[in-house]
Amino acid sequence: MEWENFYSASYEGTRHFTQQDVQTANATGFGAAADDYAERGIDLNEQLIYNKPATFFFRMNGDAMIGAGIQNGDVLIVDKSLKATNGKIIVAAVNGDLVVRRFQQGIKGPSLIAENGRYEPIEVGEFTQFNPFGLVTCVIHIFEKGLLDHHRTPAKKKKHH
Amino acid sequence: MKAIVDCNSFYCSCERVFRPDLEEKPVVVLSNNDGCIISISNEAKNYGIDMAIPYYQAKDIIEQNGISTFSSNYNLYGDLSRRVMDTLKYLVGEENVEVYSVDEAFLDLTHIPVEELHQCAAHIRDVVEQWTGVSVSVGVGKTKVLSKVANRLSKKLRVASKTWVLDTDEATADALQRTHVKDLWGIGRRYALKLMDWNIHTAWELKHMNEEWARANLGGVIGVRMIQELNGKHSIEMRDPLVNKKMIATTRMFGAAVSDLKDIKEAVATYTARAAEKLRRQHSAASLISVFVVPKQQSGSADYRHGGYPRTRYQTLYSPTSLTHELIKPAMALAEKVYKDGERYSKAGVMLSGLVPDTSIQANLFKSAASNQSRWLMNMLDNINFSMRDDIIKYASAGTEKNWKMRQDFISPRYTTRWNELREVK
Repeated sequence: MEWENFYSASYEGTRHFTQQDVQTANATGFGAAADDYAERGIDLNEQLIYNKPATFFFRMNGDAMIGAGIQNGDVLIVDKSLKATNGKIIVAAVNGDLVVRRFQQGIKGPSLIAENGRYEPIEVGEFTQFNPFGLVTCVIHIFEKGLLDHHRTPAKKKKHH
Repeated sequence: MKAIVDCNSFYCSCERVFRPDLEEKPVVVLSNNDGCIISISNEAKNYGIDMAIPYYQAKDIIEQNGISTFSSNYNLYGDLSRRVMDTLKYLVGEENVEVYSVDEAFLDLTHIPVEELHQCAAHIRDVVEQWTGVSVSVGVGKTKVLSKVANRLSKKLRVASKTWVLDTDEATADALQRTHVKDLWGIGRRYALKLMDWNIHTAWELKHMNEEWARANLGGVIGVRMIQELNGKHSIEMRDPLVNKKMIATTRMFGAAVSDLKDIKEAVATYTARAAEKLRRQHSAASLISVFVVPKQQSGSADYRHGGYPRTRYQTLYSPTSLTHELIKPAMALAEKVYKDGERYSKAGVMLSGLVPDTSIQANLFKSAASNQSRWLMNMLDNINFSMRDDIIKYASAGTEKNWKMRQDFISPRYTTRWNELREVK
């Protein structure tokens, strides 16, 4: 049956694998020998997310971190449970804005370094509102963006009040 | 010992997670359909804005003071709520967490030594805030009622630590003396007035009443439990955390009053599809379906009631089902029955009840192949809608125009549940 393939292709997550997910277990009572070897498929979440309740996704806007391999439009996976330490790439709130930069603990205080010569470092001074959001653990760069077009209904315009 | 963990101005807190520019700024969140104010940040409370007042009444204050206003973004709040609850389960063990509402959970801390409770409460507060960005306050006491008393004090007095621990008899006595009976968890307005008539004003005074008196005067066993809880004796048990819902309802206010039967039917079909999805998610089938509408009231009419008077029709189902198309059919017939020509409606809803375990998903030799295929079809539908979102596949009866859709003029992006609404960073 054609829809069987379609059904299997849809993402369901692999953590809740139940009897109903094994299609051949249906009705006959014998099942298929292959069911004994049924195994969860590879799940990207297992590899890319260490702490689920603390993991957030962001989208890169701009080329400030191009030298670190983060390109415009890439998805950043950010773990909020991991603290910013020297040399790590972090997402942080600076004066009400969210930026991604390399965190550097200097003698005069922390600063946020871009990986692009065109950007000045952001020095965190006494009057800077600085609040680290979390650590960037992965970056997802998609080459074949066209394949994802069916996901992409026009984004809602962000509203600021 | 029990603890209550309560998110501070939860919806406002959620709106701030991805908007650091709103930190320490006044924020309010409006109810469905932008009707009332349902969440207020402390900063906005300082402008005298109160809970549950209609938006239009506060509009002037909001605009004059630049208070940030949001429509309810339940996708965002639901996701962050789940994160908060998951963090709590990680911290104290799944079996010790009872999710009480979207922004509150009771914890069983029996396994924590009393001298470590202060530290434990602070740790819970810090980890939840660090991991999820949502700020919480923690109240700890010998019983659920006492933990609620503690939590209320920490919130009301805006204690910097956001924790309040009743670890000694002195601390408990002090807290009860500062708490009015009307502010006790579980004491309704009616009983509060009664108590005041009897000259019982503080929780401390109520604690010293005897159980027999409570049985006679405070609603029987409920009153007895209240006295026991105030005296540090567990009487309100932790709920079984994994109870399937006994009833599933989907209901919404319309953006503008609807008078067309076609629009009502489209709305009802959409709600039915949504309710059926919820039903399948918990592997249940329904044996009774009800449809209701709420006619729009003339404001100022003599019999005005907040929320209006719903008119309901129900139908028992030939056999329990979780299949959308088997539910939409009776739902459409019921919608036609509740509808009256010429009337305008502010709200409609669908309720599924008489829930039984769904057997259609189990292997069944005696069932026709067709019904098993229907079940696969539903699985497919749920999976596709789940992975692609926005109800990409839906029943034709649900329509495509949605004249009845609710008003959400100030909605924020669904930062955590949609790929195309992720927060941007520079």
